[in-house]
Amino acid sequence: MSASSPEAAPASGRGLPGWFDPSPVFFGLIALLLAFVVLLPFGWLALFSLTDEKGAFSMENFSELGDPSLFLGPFVTTLGIALGVGVLACGVALPLAWLVSRTNVPFRRTLRGLIMTSFITPPFIGAVAWVLLAAPNSGLINQYYRALTGAGQFDRLVNIFSAEGIVFVMASYAFPYVFVLAANTLDRMPYDLEEASAILGGGRWHTLRRVTFPMVLPALLAGFLIAFLQAMTQFGTPAILALPAGFHVLTTKIWSLFQFPPRTHLAAACAIPMLFVTILLLRGEKFLLGRRGFTMIGGKAGAPQLTNLGLWRWPALTMALLVIVVTVLLPNLILIRASMLRTVSDAWTLDTITWDNVRLVFGLTHTRATLENTLITGVAAATAGTAFSVLVAYLTARRAVPGHRFLAFLATAPAAVPGIVLGVALFIGYTRPPFQLYGTLWILLLAFLTIEMPPAYQQMQAAFRGLNPELEDASRILGAGRLKSLTSIVAPLLKSSVAATWCFVFIGTIRELSATILLTTSNTKLVSVLIYDLNENGELGAIAVLGLVLMAVTAVVVVAANRLANVGQMAPGR
Amino acid sequence: MSRLELAGLTKRFGAQTAVDALDLTVESGQLISLLGPSGCGKTTTLRLVSGFAIPDGGTIHVAGRQVSAAGTVVPPERREMSMIFQSYALWPHLTVAENVAYGLKLRRLPRATIDERVRAMLETMQLGPYAARYPAELSGGQQQRVGLARALAVEPKILLLDEPLSNLDANLREEMRHEIRRLHDRFHYTTIYVTHDQMEAMTTSDIVAVMRDGKIEQAGSPEDIYERPLSEFVARFIGSTNILRGRRAGEHVADCDGLRLACESGVFSEDGGAIVSIRPHRIVLGPPPEGEAGPNEAVGTVERAVYLGSQRHYIVALEAGTRLQVLASSDVLAQPSQRVGLTLPPGHCRALAR
Repeated sequence: MSASSPEAAPASGRGLPGWFDPSPVFFGLIALLLAFVVLLPFGWLALFSLTDEKGAFSMENFSELGDPSLFLGPFVTTLGIALGVGVLACGVALPLAWLVSRTNVPFRRTLRGLIMTSFITPPFIGAVAWVLLAAPNSGLINQYYRALTGAGQFDRLVNIFSAEGIVFVMASYAFPYVFVLAANTLDRMPYDLEEASAILGGGRWHTLRRVTFPMVLPALLAGFLIAFLQAMTQFGTPAILALPAGFHVLTTKIWSLFQFPPRTHLAAACAIPMLFVTILLLRGEKFLLGRRGFTMIGGKAGAPQLTNLGLWRWPALTMALLVIVVTVLLPNLILIRASMLRTVSDAWTLDTITWDNVRLVFGLTHTRATLENTLITGVAAATAGTAFSVLVAYLTARRAVPGHRFLAFLATAPAAVPGIVLGVALFIGYTRPPFQLYGTLWILLLAFLTIEMPPAYQQMQAAFRGLNPELEDASRILGAGRLKSLTSIVAPLLKSSVAATWCFVFIGTIRELSATILLTTSNTKLVSVLIYDLNENGELGAIAVLGLVLMAVTAVVVVAANRLANVGQMAPGR
Repeated sequence: MSRLELAGLTKRFGAQTAVDALDLTVESGQLISLLGPSGCGKTTTLRLVSGFAIPDGGTIHVAGRQVSAAGTVVPPERREMSMIFQSYALWPHLTVAENVAYGLKLRRLPRATIDERVRAMLETMQLGPYAARYPAELSGGQQQRVGLARALAVEPKILLLDEPLSNLDANLREEMRHEIRRLHDRFHYTTIYVTHDQMEAMTTSDIVAVMRDGKIEQAGSPEDIYERPLSEFVARFIGSTNILRGRRAGEHVADCDGLRLACESGVFSEDGGAIVSIRPHRIVLGPPPEGEAGPNEAVGTVERAVYLGSQRHYIVALEAGTRLQVLASSDVLAQPSQRVGLTLPPGHCRALAR
């Protein structure tokens, strides 16, 4: 909007050098690029779902969705599993959140930290860990069970290759999200509300039921939706656990439509209901969290008045620890164990420890290329994604271009797109002219940029909101254009947020599987896909090694990101 | 140094008109303050002048050149203006010297020139010893001075100040008021100073423009504005005053509930109503008059008496019920519920048209 009329122009050009400000052109290009990247694949997706193999318009694809073995069956299974995951995750997370936030259970901080560590493990690695633990025959738990009870060779205590098993594994990695939401809400809830109820004669249980619980309800429901969505859109866990059991969920079904002979039009049609359900649920979440304001009315927290559990705090602690042992400790221990032993049931002694798995992983001809690919796409996606989100967040926060609202919508819209749906869309969009990117790392980079755009954008948008616009105005009035102000003033001031966003995108990228699985080829394998392949070959020890490497890298990057964020707050500048 | 002219300037936000066909001329080298309550459009006017906001109507000219018109503006970075912000807006990642040098570097001046001008400017602002510090390591007053140094270093055509002292505590504010005036007397930049504090406006400005609802209600020298207000709004906004309402009883005489007031200055409105303003310290408090009260004389009862050190503040209720504030020397002593006489000298009664 900073175009000058011919009449106004004479005032420019004098005094200050560089009177041509490239900012509007540059910003316009950024906006167009974003629109292009987001909209193109979905145009193709819609087109493909409505056409047959010959390209003629057809509703055939959608009428085939009624076929129980093709779509309806997997769809119902998926919804059932997702519902189970949501309920289980909430059932575990709510009591835990209440314990660490509102009671005097011992080691509350430590418990909280331990629960958060489960974010480090990518869910599909967790699924492999549970195969090691609870596969019907080879699973360690079943082996111990048979050894202890003398049960027969085919008897078993647990079977992870089942719908229940999938629900259990998915819930162990989904409940921390619900926990964080519920605990944060409880933390912010003013203590005097509970006190008021107690003073009015409400018993402890009555207070909990009538005051505390209703206050957390929106956060809990939002957490439920997040868990539900994760369960519905994940590919890795069901691929590892459902396929051996002989049934499909929606994501694995869509993936199977890409196996030879590929039926991309049908896959596109399958992806569309999933897209709609996701959008619907996200709207529900936004509605619930958007009203969360009422939990904070009164605001003044006062001195923390924790519920005294008395002697009950020891059973409570035991329960919390049990959850942590089952969801965090056990899977990670089994991975460490599996990485060191030839077979996971071998005794764990100095003699049996072997480097075989490490040798196997790094002896594979393509391992090196895979690691390189992962690093290249990770760094590239993090760098480009961060730069892009900074620019887009700037444009929308400062309303620097016409149509900035639409830009904000584009940047957040991919959040409603499940990874596998995006995979289908990108596959269709970039396997044909004018953009033939399939088989290159570029298509993976595009996928990661699209997937990570919404969270990265939201982080940067929040950072911009925390930055006084006068800092930038001061730069402009002294003669710097928008672009110059952005690079010399805004970017340095936001560098800790920028670094944190970079780390966030990097981590998200190196553990992505749902979209990657459709877009990868033998030349463009990533670690997550390599892990998936190794699983198909039964090389669980090798997976354990790769999984631990992935988790170690993640942990290092997380710590680094936290450091950077803190440093940025403390120092006056550099 | 440049003459600044705003003509018919209008800015709307949705249905609300923030600046309403505003006309204002700032002569070269003049310091004019925009004074008004919050929401009166003064900050929007400043943002229009600086080019951050685009007007919906009217024009802005600097030294005869148009820089803003409806929908088209020269962007802030090409206006050769400087601005002091309410938050100071110092860049926390740059040192004091780097902050001040920023605008000079953008002008691609030789290194040696920049260094010299930064040094001289910091010297002028008594900031020499702090050149290598970061803004967070300075006090509020020092930060404000860095903001001034940074704005003045580029030798702007126009200097804009947006409530520059509102974040300072009272003592420092008083000191900085005089500092700003001292700098203006030295550099003579054409300056617009936005404030809601009348003392600030009166101390610093050549011209005070009182704004209301997006328009300039009255502009004039501080003395003009205080002694010769044109409206009740201005009279009330600049210092405290007593407003008496009544009917017109002659060319320059008002009848306010039986109290006849001759006014030596100002005009009444044509519709027969009369508004009179008189400052509390202009009313003379004494014993009740013997016999009938004459014109510009009233009898009342002291309702409240407050001792202020150098003065006494009285609230006196007239027989008709009107309450007047009176500031008297601390020698003039009256007790609550005591009957007193008040003289409202015609020379200090100001007739107001609205």
